[in-house]
Amino acid sequence: MAMMNTASGLLQLESADGTSVLRLGGVWRLSNLAAIAGALQASGLSACKHFVLEGGGLQELDTAAAFMLYRHLAGVGCTESMVTRRGFDPRHERLLDLVCERMSCPPAAAKNRRRDPLSRIGAATLKLWRLLQIHVAFIGTVASELLALLRRPGLFRFKETASQFETICLDAIPIAALVTFLIGVVFTYLLGLQAQRYGANIFVVDGVGLAVCRELSPLLVAVIVAGRSGAAFTAQIGTMKVQDEIDAISTLGLSPVQVLVIPRLVAIMAALPLLVFVGDLAGIAGGMLIAAWQLDVSVPTFLERLHGVLPMSAPVVGLVKAPVFAAFIAMIACRMGMLVARDARSVGENTTSTVVQSIVWVIVLDAVFAIVFQHLDI
Amino acid sequence: MDTAANPRVAQQDVVLQVDGIVTRFGPATIHDGVSFSVGRGQVVALIGGSGTGKSVLVKEVIGLLRPTAGSVRLLGADVWSSDAEALSALRRRFGMLFQDGALFSSLTVAENIAVPFREHTDLPAALIPPLVGFKLSLVGLPPEAGAKMPSELSGGMRKRVALARALALEPEILFLDEPTSGLDPISARAFDHLVRVLSDGLGLTVFIVTHDLDTLLSIIDRVIVLSGGKVIADGTVDEVMQGGDPWIRDYFSARVPAVRKGS
Repeated sequence: MAMMNTASGLLQLESADGTSVLRLGGVWRLSNLAAIAGALQASGLSACKHFVLEGGGLQELDTAAAFMLYRHLAGVGCTESMVTRRGFDPRHERLLDLVCERMSCPPAAAKNRRRDPLSRIGAATLKLWRLLQIHVAFIGTVASELLALLRRPGLFRFKETASQFETICLDAIPIAALVTFLIGVVFTYLLGLQAQRYGANIFVVDGVGLAVCRELSPLLVAVIVAGRSGAAFTAQIGTMKVQDEIDAISTLGLSPVQVLVIPRLVAIMAALPLLVFVGDLAGIAGGMLIAAWQLDVSVPTFLERLHGVLPMSAPVVGLVKAPVFAAFIAMIACRMGMLVARDARSVGENTTSTVVQSIVWVIVLDAVFAIVFQHLDI
Repeated sequence: MDTAANPRVAQQDVVLQVDGIVTRFGPATIHDGVSFSVGRGQVVALIGGSGTGKSVLVKEVIGLLRPTAGSVRLLGADVWSSDAEALSALRRRFGMLFQDGALFSSLTVAENIAVPFREHTDLPAALIPPLVGFKLSLVGLPPEAGAKMPSELSGGMRKRVALARALALEPEILFLDEPTSGLDPISARAFDHLVRVLSDGLGLTVFIVTHDLDTLLSIIDRVIVLSGGKVIADGTVDEVMQGGDPWIRDYFSARVPAVRKGS
């Protein structure tokens, strides 16, 4: 009679007359699963014709441990029909039955999500192309809904638009003013350092006025609004999508574009030029402060010079660019919100994507405007 | 109803003891002195009309929401006077299935089930994938489901995955919040059967919040009825059905005419 003892009485293998008896004992629970796995490995159990599983000494058993046992038995080639159970507590018996019954499925396949670089580039390109197609289709949808609105102006949601305008414009005034003010300060200071060398202090006014009104204020305010309101649009619409609210809107016979997109689009297109104007004032105020403080250009002198040299076209160009930026931000943000899948992670991903896409588009559009205005001599 | 008088509870060791729970949200009183106890290995159902605070009660029992007054003893520990460490240790000993599954949406199904193994056990990494696969098949899901994201699953599948996750650490008590709502009758009965088998095999105590009369009639040892902020009935399904309360009679008779009309 051969006998084998393994770790702390969990398992004992006895062989007599070609029949093996595997005695289980102690606590077979998840908490000592590693020890159980080790004991099974060390047991030296090999496939044999018939074999008895003796469970009289078993104190506790849970599904994880029972699974480990049967997995090991299957691993060494013992089928269920070769195993006879003996002396098990009825509760453990039922548990083993359950585990045997559910064991037949093979273990979960390990996921393989990593792809080679080339196919990832390909997939990313296709994704970008699809995104572009979707954006174009969305622009079409919104345009046709806007036309429908022109025919039936009563459908326009004034309340929603007003409340969006409040959050996009009024609530953003402090941050927009602060950022453009600081940029006006920095810009004037750096420009002043150069101008002072040539005694050309007064020309700083020309530079600040032009730069702030034409480029800095529209660009910075658009970036702030993209980060602030664009992200909010995507997160709001995306969360509604997750909770099936968009489907509910459609089911109630309303158009999600009319209810969600157009108020946001109109509000942001109205808000951005106003914020840009606030930015113009704040930027020039910042310039004025530094000019008076560092460059001996007093406030009245500054204003008089500004009045003389700043062409009306500069702020107008800035204010013309703003609604175009706004439209792009709104369209990207709303569309990305609609594209959210049914999980929280997707809301985050799409919000990030909105901010990145919006800022990139704002800068691309700004470059396009620069070239166009150059050709038009504005 | 005085649960200490219930002989079925008195004989077994008590794993959950709820005493005089009072819950107020502002002026609204949800629970006005709820008391009951649950013995080891029982499958207990908590029923009550919508808005009677069943889910709130479960949250108070498992330490997610502090009741206005009253105490909860779960597995021998007072939930609301334990420190964070004791509560954390306690939480490894019970499983909770939330109404909509509450799977982590950024993880695959297999990763969701592996979370308790990775966080709370020192299992060798090689043992985890087969265990996860087994838990999946234990709740009746095909192994391919492991690679899916929760957003790709149907409602029934999400519940099963959530059950697999709740069962991962071999809990002593399982709390199920409307486990069969949104499942087809076949899946719902399979789910019930699974719960009963696990309860019998593991000595698992199961506390189910449910509206499913088939669940009540097939696998439940004991029903606790919550109404008007109090426990109005407590006993086996038959005992509760025979009680005089009109709401309970309506509740159980709601099914029969509905089925007959349908056929």
